[in-house]
Amino acid sequence: MNIAVWLIGLFLVLCGVGIALVVLLPQPRAPQVLAWIGALASLPVIGASGWVLLAGNTFTMRLWTLPSLGTLLLRMDRLSALFIVITGLVFLPVSVFCAGHLSRYLGRYSLRAFSVMFLALYASIVLILTAGDVLLFLLAWEAMSILTYLLVNYEHEESAHTRAGYVMLAFSEAGLLAVVLGLLLLAVPAGSLDFASLKTAALTLGPGTRWAVFLLTFFGFGIKAGLVPVNSWLPRAYTAAPAGFLPVLAGAMLNLGFYGIMRVNLDVAPITVPAPGLVVLVVGTVSALLGILYATIENDLKTMLAHSSIENAGIITVALGAGFIFTAYQLPVLGAMAFVTAGYHLVNHSFYKTLLLLGAGAVEDRAGTRDLNKLGGLIRMMPWTALFFLVGALSIAAIPPFNGFVSEWLTLQIILRSVELASVGVKIIFVICGASLALTAALAVTCFVKAFAMGFLGMSRSARVAQAKEARRSTLAPMLLLSVLCLGFGVLPTYVIPVLSRTMAPVVAPGATDALVPPFFAGSPAHGQLPSAFVAEFHDLGAQTGQRILPGRGLVVMHRGGTANPVVFAMSTSYMVIVLVLLLGIAYGVIRVLTRRRHVVRRACWDGGIPRLLPEMTYSATGFSNPVRVIFEAIFHPTTIEDQPDTVAAHFRMAIHRQREDVHIVDRFVLHPVKAMTWGFARWLAGMHHGKLNAYLAYVLLALLLVLLVAWALPVGP
Amino acid sequence: MSGWFLKGVTTGTKTTGYPAHAEGAPGVSPGRPVGGAYPEREIPLLVARCPVGAIRPSGQAAVMVDYRRCVHCFRCQRGLATPLAWESGYEWAGVFNDQQALDHAFTRSVNILVVDTGDCGACLNEVKQLNNPYYNMHRLGLFITPTPRNADVLLVVGPLTDHMRVPLQKAYEAMPTPKRVIAVGACALSGGVFAPSFACNSGPADLLPVDVAVPGNPPPPLAILQGLLVAVGRKSPRPLESPAGDTAQEVSAR
Repeated sequence: MNIAVWLIGLFLVLCGVGIALVVLLPQPRAPQVLAWIGALASLPVIGASGWVLLAGNTFTMRLWTLPSLGTLLLRMDRLSALFIVITGLVFLPVSVFCAGHLSRYLGRYSLRAFSVMFLALYASIVLILTAGDVLLFLLAWEAMSILTYLLVNYEHEESAHTRAGYVMLAFSEAGLLAVVLGLLLLAVPAGSLDFASLKTAALTLGPGTRWAVFLLTFFGFGIKAGLVPVNSWLPRAYTAAPAGFLPVLAGAMLNLGFYGIMRVNLDVAPITVPAPGLVVLVVGTVSALLGILYATIENDLKTMLAHSSIENAGIITVALGAGFIFTAYQLPVLGAMAFVTAGYHLVNHSFYKTLLLLGAGAVEDRAGTRDLNKLGGLIRMMPWTALFFLVGALSIAAIPPFNGFVSEWLTLQIILRSVELASVGVKIIFVICGASLALTAALAVTCFVKAFAMGFLGMSRSARVAQAKEARRSTLAPMLLLSVLCLGFGVLPTYVIPVLSRTMAPVVAPGATDALVPPFFAGSPAHGQLPSAFVAEFHDLGAQTGQRILPGRGLVVMHRGGTANPVVFAMSTSYMVIVLVLLLGIAYGVIRVLTRRRHVVRRACWDGGIPRLLPEMTYSATGFSNPVRVIFEAIFHPTTIEDQPDTVAAHFRMAIHRQREDVHIVDRFVLHPVKAMTWGFARWLAGMHHGKLNAYLAYVLLALLLVLLVAWALPVGP
Repeated sequence: MSGWFLKGVTTGTKTTGYPAHAEGAPGVSPGRPVGGAYPEREIPLLVARCPVGAIRPSGQAAVMVDYRRCVHCFRCQRGLATPLAWESGYEWAGVFNDQQALDHAFTRSVNILVVDTGDCGACLNEVKQLNNPYYNMHRLGLFITPTPRNADVLLVVGPLTDHMRVPLQKAYEAMPTPKRVIAVGACALSGGVFAPSFACNSGPADLLPVDVAVPGNPPPPLAILQGLLVAVGRKSPRPLESPAGDTAQEVSAR
């Protein structure tokens, strides 16, 4: 029997043992149990999924048969293995982080409840990803939804958190309903509930049903992924979620939405016409742009990272949409490249967002606030936290050599490949999306310059922050792990892309590896495919450097075109890092030699001669992002609540206090109208309840007549 | 089209020839009193008429003038039976601290940071004239800079009010070495008519090592120009007292 099955079984047993231990042991021990069990249980998860991912030993296992509903199947193919390995790599550090972090809740909230829900959630997520049939999938999904709601609402004494929890639950259930409908549309012709038979049945579907399945599942799963226009719950829930759970919400559960979209629209019922792809592309672009715009002006670290998750989800969606369109236009290799890019960005987002949220949690723990206007100067008190947060910020801002750069660069390059499409209209949409995505990338840099500079540099803007201590080792170790992952996935993309390409191989066309990583290394079996003139030319440029000591295909990510343009795009973060380190080292050495005799006097920085620099006088987070706020005022559309003049006499104003409120554009155009319509409908219904007995009897009679009519009209079943 | 061009060409150069040639235009300097022999009987009256105590008896039948204090009020010249001698000219700048040797620290252009430490505006106005086409200090490689990080010379005007002590100190510390300090005007040299008072002590010399002094109240632009040239070693300093004391003579002889 497949070893992966045993490992998944071991994981589930460990989760059960953990829950039992948490319940039996005294309350203060719960975080330790959570950390140990969470970390230990992650090892079999990573092992099993890594095994499936690298060796390709997929498995399907029958659990048991439920009467009238079908057989529950446990299945792991490479696609689910990719998501499971991410889940494991997110839960491992977050569990360790919880060991120290949870103590702040001792005496106020139940640590036992948190630990039980955390471990149960872990199990349910892995079950969602290993579900081989719709029933187990939906059961696990529902368990996950409820546990997520309970965990978001963990700090239930805050009314804002409770409200956020309700909004999230409502969205989540609405998404589930849409998904159930979509999957039922597939399951009815299949006559069975396992994904394999759904896949065969999907081939026979008409275009109308395909559209319905696509729209229902895309928006249903899009809710979990936080895509516009169904993202209203996300910033609220992220802000409310406790710091020990938030990294999971962002790093592992956002992916579930993408798992659903990829499972249904890539594997089970693949998209074959360009129009749904265009919907995906445009939704992704709008999500990315709106996400980063709101992230840039946000001053609460958690909320900022929440909006940035929407942005990253948008980028992944753009890559997916491009893949759907390329595939529909019979460009399977480009499509495969796009899906690999989407997978790459998904992995990257999980790593750096978890890292950044752990950093935010550490800051909140030690400095007591998340408000960037009150933080500042933490690099002196928390140097290691600052370093790891910087790694995360550089990664998410797509600065080489970190991982965000590779996937965002690939996304933009893929969008530029739209020149190969035939349709001019689609090309124009691609161009607009590409331009918006470039703007998004630039704003992301602004946003994370702000997050790091206002949080960690400059002067401390409040007393508590000035006395902050370095984070615990149980916080720093997980951040170190994630930082290494961020750097590794940035420096070695040529080793990641083949794995991702193999992951996508069963569902998309092969060839992404050949199209993206040319086999420059002579040791690679595919080396012979490259024209020798081409190899010789790039040998002089150094593309074969290291082939004696390194395995693999090469270190250059390159897409080759025809004879007119042999190289469409190329880059190598691996070589770039080496050159960067060498150049920096040489520059440092030269400067040291040249300035050896120089007499250096260190004085305070010139501040214009002011007697004392107060924190209030320095640049604030609001001020830093104000240009963005002003430029995009049409989108933010702030409303002034009231102007309160501060007067000494009637004619002498000292100041005007202006209170502004920004309502998220999606709330304004989607959530609030829907809310108003629902209220209107409820009011209309309430109008019928006026308490007269005769009327109620009439309602009953009418309802009975209606049922009889329907029963008469419907054909008699078998 | 270009009337201004023709006018410019026909007008020719109007910029002063200083320091290559002496400036002879009328009104470039108010002049200043000269110490020396004076009727002994009238000395107390003369000393009493000086409002800032710049004139002191110097031995028998002679007075001396301390240019660090003199405010050019003409009270020692007008309304007296024996007016004190008065010299024209504008080369007034001297070395403030006699022990200080001004080596040739600057060989190329020099950037000047001007700090107003409580100036009434007169000295500042004269400093401002250095930038106009007539005096045009840029032709000598002298430039004004707003930041001490680029400055070679710190030019201080005003009596140094208490509130400006910290900023001046910070500006001086922010300047890279080598650096020179020039005090311009009677207020910056001795506190002038203000010192000592509730607002200030006796000028920046008690806070910073002042190198070059430019007396005058205010000194004419050419005097300031000479002071800057002294600071960069292109002009020799002049004594700050009249008649010149022993040490001052040494300096001027060097």
